Order: sequence, then C-alpha cells, then structure tokens
Amino acid sequence: MSVAGTNGRALPWALVTPALAWTLLFFVLPFIAMGLSSLTAHEGGALTLANYSQFFTNPSYWRAMVNSLEVTATVTVISIVLAYPFAWILAEQVPERWQRLALMLAVLPFWTSYVVRSYSWLLVLAQNGVINRALTSAGLIAEPLQLANTRLATVTGFVHFFVMLLTLTIFANLKQLSPSYRKAAADLGAGPVRTFLHVVLPLTLPGIMVGAFLTVVLCIGDYITPQILGGNNELVMPQLVMMQIGRRGDFPLASALSIILMAVVTVAYLACARWLKIERA
Amino acid sequence: MRAAVRLAAWLYAIAVYGFIFLPVVVLILFSLQATSFPIPPFTGPSLRWYQAVLSDARLTSALVNSLLVAVLSSLACVTLGFLSAWGFARFALPGSALLRGLITLPLTVSYLIIGMGLLVLFNWAGVPKSLIAAGVGHVVINLPLCFAIIYSQMGDHQINIERAARDLGAPEWKVLLMITVPVMAPAIFAGFFLSMTFSWDEFVISFLLTRFETTLPVEIWNLLRSGLNPKTNAVGSLVFAVSIVLVVLFELTLLRRKTA
Amino acid sequence: MTVNVRNPLSTLRSGLGAAFAAVALLAAGGAQAADLNALIWCDHSDPALLQPFEEANNVKVNVKEFEGTGAGLAIVDQSQPGDWDVMVIDSIDVPRGIEKGLFEPLPEDKLPFADLFPEVTMDKSTVVDGKRYGITEKFGYNTIGFNKSKVDPADMQSLASLTSDKYKGKIAIYDYYLPVIGMAALAIGKKTADLTEADLPALKAELLKMKANAKLVGEVTASQTALATGEVDILVGGGEWVTAGLAKENPALDFSIPKEGAVLWSQSLAMFKDSKNKDMALKFIQYILSPEGQARLATSACYWGMPSNKKATLTDEQKKILRFDEQPGFLARAQAYPAPNADLDKKMQDMWTEMLQAQ
Repeated sequence: MSVAGTNGRALPWALVTPALAWTLLFFVLPFIAMGLSSLTAHEGGALTLANYSQFFTNPSYWRAMVNSLEVTATVTVISIVLAYPFAWILAEQVPERWQRLALMLAVLPFWTSYVVRSYSWLLVLAQNGVINRALTSAGLIAEPLQLANTRLATVTGFVHFFVMLLTLTIFANLKQLSPSYRKAAADLGAGPVRTFLHVVLPLTLPGIMVGAFLTVVLCIGDYITPQILGGNNELVMPQLVMMQIGRRGDFPLASALSIILMAVVTVAYLACARWLKIERA
Repeated sequence: MRAAVRLAAWLYAIAVYGFIFLPVVVLILFSLQATSFPIPPFTGPSLRWYQAVLSDARLTSALVNSLLVAVLSSLACVTLGFLSAWGFARFALPGSALLRGLITLPLTVSYLIIGMGLLVLFNWAGVPKSLIAAGVGHVVINLPLCFAIIYSQMGDHQINIERAARDLGAPEWKVLLMITVPVMAPAIFAGFFLSMTFSWDEFVISFLLTRFETTLPVEIWNLLRSGLNPKTNAVGSLVFAVSIVLVVLFELTLLRRKTA
Repeated sequence: MTVNVRNPLSTLRSGLGAAFAAVALLAAGGAQAADLNALIWCDHSDPALLQPFEEANNVKVNVKEFEGTGAGLAIVDQSQPGDWDVMVIDSIDVPRGIEKGLFEPLPEDKLPFADLFPEVTMDKSTVVDGKRYGITEKFGYNTIGFNKSKVDPADMQSLASLTSDKYKGKIAIYDYYLPVIGMAALAIGKKTADLTEADLPALKAELLKMKANAKLVGEVTASQTALATGEVDILVGGGEWVTAGLAKENPALDFSIPKEGAVLWSQSLAMFKDSKNKDMALKFIQYILSPEGQARLATSACYWGMPSNKKATLTDEQKKILRFDEQPGFLARAQAYPAPNADLDKKMQDMWTEMLQAQ
C-alpha cells in the first residue's frame, strides 16, 4: 500500500478503510489471538504444542473429526440429491406466476428459529413422537423405532435446513439459464436426458457448488443440531470444542481444535474456490 | 410419458414440501398442548404456554435484545459494506482483489470459530462479555454478505450515471447521497434484511460473548435445557410468526419498488 | 469535503485503538453497581426464587448460569475483580476457589447452621483454617432414576443391573462425568474419595459396559425428557433432581439408593472476596438458607433437590416426593462426589469423551 498523496487517492481509502479495519480488528486479529492461545498450556501458559498433539494422539478426538466429516459429507450429498429435482420442478414445472409463491413456501420454515428447528425434529422423531405414533397406530411397526438420539436424527435435522438452502441456490441458477441453450441442444438432436446431462447440469454446477460449500461450512461448524438430536452417542468437532470451554474453561485446547476445524474448511473452500468468486454484474 | 413425468414431479414436490413442513406443523400444533409434554396425544388446544411465554420477563427482554442487536449490527453492516463496495467499484485501488477477498473471507469461516476467536481476543484485551460484543461478532459475519450483495450489484451503468452527475458539477457527497444510495437501495435493503435475519437467529456467537443480558436464541436454548416443554414450542411459534410478518413486509416493499 | 491524507496503516492502527476503547467503554456500562451479580446453576434462575428477594431488598439479581466448577472458575478468571458477588459451587470444590483466593469467609453466627443436616455441611471442604467459605444450600443423589411401571424395582437395588442385558437399550446416562464416574467406582467396589489414576482402566471398562447398554447420554434436559417420555426406563446418575420435578406429570418415576451406595451431590454458596456489595451478598445467602428460600430452591423449576435446612417450609406432599424422611438412611450410604486434582480431572474428562465416542 502506498502513501496516498492527493485528495483523489484519499477518498477511496476513506471509503474502504472502515470495512477493512473492522475485518482486521475483529476477524484477523481474533484469529491470531486464537492461534497464539492454541500454542499455550492451559495451566501456566507456557508455550507448547501439546494442544495439537492431543488431537493427533487421542483417538476419541480424532474420531470427532471423522464423525464431523462423515456427517457433513452425508448431509451435503443427500441435500443436493433431494434439492436438485425439487428446484427443477419449481423452475420448470410450476407455472411462472406461481413460482414466487412456491419458492416462498419451500423456504418458509427457514424463518423458524434455528435452535427451535432442531428441537421440533426431536418432537417428530422421539420414541413417542409423531412418526413412531403414526407408524404404530397404522400397524406398520410393532415396536417404536429408535429415530431420535442417533446420527440419522442429526442428519435429518441438517438435511431439512440445507434442502431449503440448496433449493434456493439451484433454483436461482436454473432461472438464469437461457431457454435457448436447451433449444439449441434439442435442435442438434439431443434428447431430454442428454440435454440435461450435457447442458443443464454443467451450467447449474455453480449453483450446486455455492450451495454445497455453504452447506459444508455451516454444517461442519454447527453445535446445536448434533447436540439436540444426536443424543451424545457420538461427538462431532463443535461439541468437542464447546466441551473444552463449557466443562473446563480450556481455551487453548478449544482454540487448537477450532483451528484444526478451520483448516479442514479451508480445504473445502479451495476445492470450490473457482465457483465462489464474487463479481460485479 | 409427459403426463407421467408431470405426475411424478407433483408427487415429489408434495413429498418434499411435506418433509419441509413436518417439524413446523408439529411445533405449532404442540404449542397448543394443554398438558406438560409436547408429544402425542394432543390434549389441546390451549393458550396457556403462550401466556407463560409472554409473562416470562427473561424471554421478553431477550426478544427486545435480539431485535436491538439485529437492527444495530445490520445498520453497521450495510454502512460499512456500502462504503467499501462503492470504494472498490468506483476506484482502482492497489491490491483491490486481495482486499476484497479479505472482506469476504469471514464468509468461509464457521460462526463457532469466529465466536471463539472473539472470545479469546476480548478475554485477552479485558473486554467484558456483553450484547455489544455479540453485536460486534454479528457485524463480522454479516459484513461480507452486505459487501458482496452491494458490490455485485454495482454495475457499470451506475458508474455512468454517477459520472454524468459529477460532470454536471455535483460534489462527491452529493453524488453519493442523491445518486448512488437511491439507485443501490434494493441491494442495500436486501443486505440489511439478510443481516437482520442472520443476526436475529444467530446462536453460538451470542452464547459465547454475552453475560446477563442475552439474545433470544440463547434464552431459548436455556429454556430448552430445563426440559421438553410446550413453552419452547410457543416461543418458537411466536418467533416464526414475527419472522413471517417481516418476510411479507419485505416482499411487499420490494414488489412495490418493482412496480413503481 | 476534506479528507485527512494519512497513511492507511496508521489510520488502521488508530482505528484499532479507538475501537477497542469504545467497545470496552460501552460494554463496561452493562451491569450496575447496585445489582447483585450471581454465578449460579440453573435452579437459581427461577423467578419464583429470585423475585421475592429482589422485591424485599429492592435489588436486581443478575444471574449467569454455568455447569461444572471448571467452567465457573474460568468465567471468574475472565472477569474483572468485583464483577461477581456470590457463586454456587459444588461443596467439594470450595477449596479450589479458596486456593485461588476468591472467597470471603462467611459469618457462621449470621447463618442457620444449627438447622442444617449435619451430614451435608461438608466441613472438610468448606472450612479452611477454621474459617467457613461455603455453606451447603441443597443436596441430593446421583443414583438410579427409573420408571417403576417399566422395570423391576428389585433390580434397581443393584448397580449391576445397569450393565446387565436385561435393560439393554432401556438406559440413558446423565452427561456429567464426575457423578457417573463416581457410580462406576461404586459398581466396582471403590470409594469415590480414593480414586487415583490407577483406577482409570477399570472405571473405563465399567463406563463402556454402561454405554453399550445405553440409548443416549444426555444433559439434564435430554435425560429428563428421555425418562419422562418413555424413551428410556432407567437414568444412570438420576435421582430426586430428575424424578421429583416430574412427579406430577409421571408419578411412576422414582429413584433408589442401591446396595453399593450412591453419589451425594451437594451445592454450596460462597461470597467473593472482591464483591463490592458484600452486605447484599450476605442477605442473599441468608435468604437462600431461610426456611422460605430453602423451600423455593428445593422445588425450583430447573430441578428439585433436598434443602440443606431441615426447617424448609415444604408441604407434606413435597416432602414425600423428595423422600424427606428417608434422608438419614440415604445419607448413611452415600459417598461424596469424586474430587480429582486438575491432572486427574483432565484424564477423567478424556475418559468420558472416549466413552461418548464408543460405538
């Protein structure tokens, strides 16, 4: 950065500096503080790598990362598979003038409180919950199924949220597609399946990737959903981080675990980076 | 064949709608439960749990806190986001791509990690926990969003109008207030609205950074920890209702803008 | 319009300083000096408990909930001296606060010591060098909570039932490591007070057996709910604190003190040395220990528990639910919470994490 000399150079800096300063002060600096903290011992504060080595040597800590990755991957894949046809139906099958309403309806539960959403799923999936009651009284099952307090419940809670999110991003992407692409493909003799596979799908890949990336970031960092629905039958990384803070006030270890989690998200970011550019229209 | 596809599409759509609405319906239904457990059989309808929510001072003050934090942090977000978007769109700054990347970087980081970082920093700097600290965190998560939305909408035609105004002798601040802000209003409004939504519903940052006074999601979490309780259903349904009203208002204002 | 021409870096640095100063200033204005700031467990946040005190003394009680002494002390570490006036703490952990020089001795003559159950005053932990730093306000047991309509009550007289095939998949474990590790110790015939690192492998084996039988490991809510709604029939670590509050909803819920014994939990109130409001803090402690305060605390919304003051103004029905009259027999068989040092505590928590992760 060069020293601004004229009024013409000062104005642009004056415009962008507050946002940059905010980001440096409350995002970059905390991150540095967390990095430093992760290198100190909980008792005494001496410099140490012990917080990191704990993660790599303690299998139950490792397991939390594996669980996080497994849950996140499952959720992302299921959400895309469910959301894509849904977004397609909304964009292609629903008459134009109803589309806005249909989309609004599809994302309406978005506006329920995030903490309450997981809790509602607990009510649905509980031993005596709505699903089990319905299935037993319909005579389909004799004994209630164990749905709540499992990984399945965690995944269901997540998928519910991310289907809505992905429907939005994919729908937006489908609407941007010019019909002429499809027409051109049809004119060239491609059937609907080939048109979809070779034209529509590649062109909607950005929408999928943006949605998938958001899903990964939000899912892997979420504490509430697994805590409410998972029944602590296994831990994911955010639960492990919160445990260090909540039970022991061990900020250094919590910092180290957060940084490891962050590193994993960065890998996901790099994988999707080419689709995530923010450009001016 | 065509009819079959159509039928399958309808069935699929209905199934997904069913999945999406199932927990909401259950939530609202059992908020009207007359007995103490929000699970079948349904014993209502009764409004006793709504009464309980509205007479709970902690919940109502948390609701006010949440609104305050959401509005103020979103105002900060759109202000900072708008100014910086304008700066980057209008002027060629050295390292512009890198700096824009920096501003949007928090988008790629989980809230938990942002909250943890601020907690460690504030701890170290001796800044006590408070609603303001949580608000600072909310600006961190929402500023990139506001910036990205406003920046992406700053097209060349904007710059042309601005240039015309400037050529006619309008000073810079006048161009900003009279031309740029009105033209960018939809994007600014969208940024503000999205920030509001995310702040209103944010949990982990508020959980880590507040002390006595806290936001509604944290208070709901506390409530949740005192047992399965139709009161949680009632407060959840109320939050839902408030959000829906906001969304509808947003839609109406936006539609009016479009037709105007 | 004039714009100062400055090096952006220096702008940044001065902005940084100013922002910090502003945030610190604004945030500091949060709590007022006249308020009473209490670091508490969830049972103290019940308005039915706090409001009478607030109205009688014209004071606002600010409460912050926490779970576990480690977390509570961490909150104190992060605060400025004088931020807090009183704290709820496991009686057994009072020495940890004294070691850090946090607490103020309490005037015994101004508190109803003579009325307390003598077994729970925990003088070994709460009195150091002849000075009392903590007073027990509530106690109970981490033992077996169960639904008597679903299990054989005779089985609930032995901790061995928890790991037997008969109740596989019918069990929830309370997600707090100390009491449940204490129960595992009782199950393998160890005294909770004597646990050392050498006992960890055997304790772990016992915990893993319980986990294999368990459907979930839950916090207060999740485990209460699971028991109350029939998701499980047995709660390891449960006791009157789970079943008493739910008795109205589900009278089949009960608890037992098995033949191996049970873990006694006991919570104390302590006053901070740096409190700026010591008179009010003492009034608060006096209120909580008074017969009326004790009754309200014992039947608080978050969880019920035995009042430490025998004169608590509980109704006969409440006494029956809490099994007030059976206390002497229970207390005789109860053992204290494990009180590991920092190193063993960390190892126990890691063992707990391992138990949670076990498939």
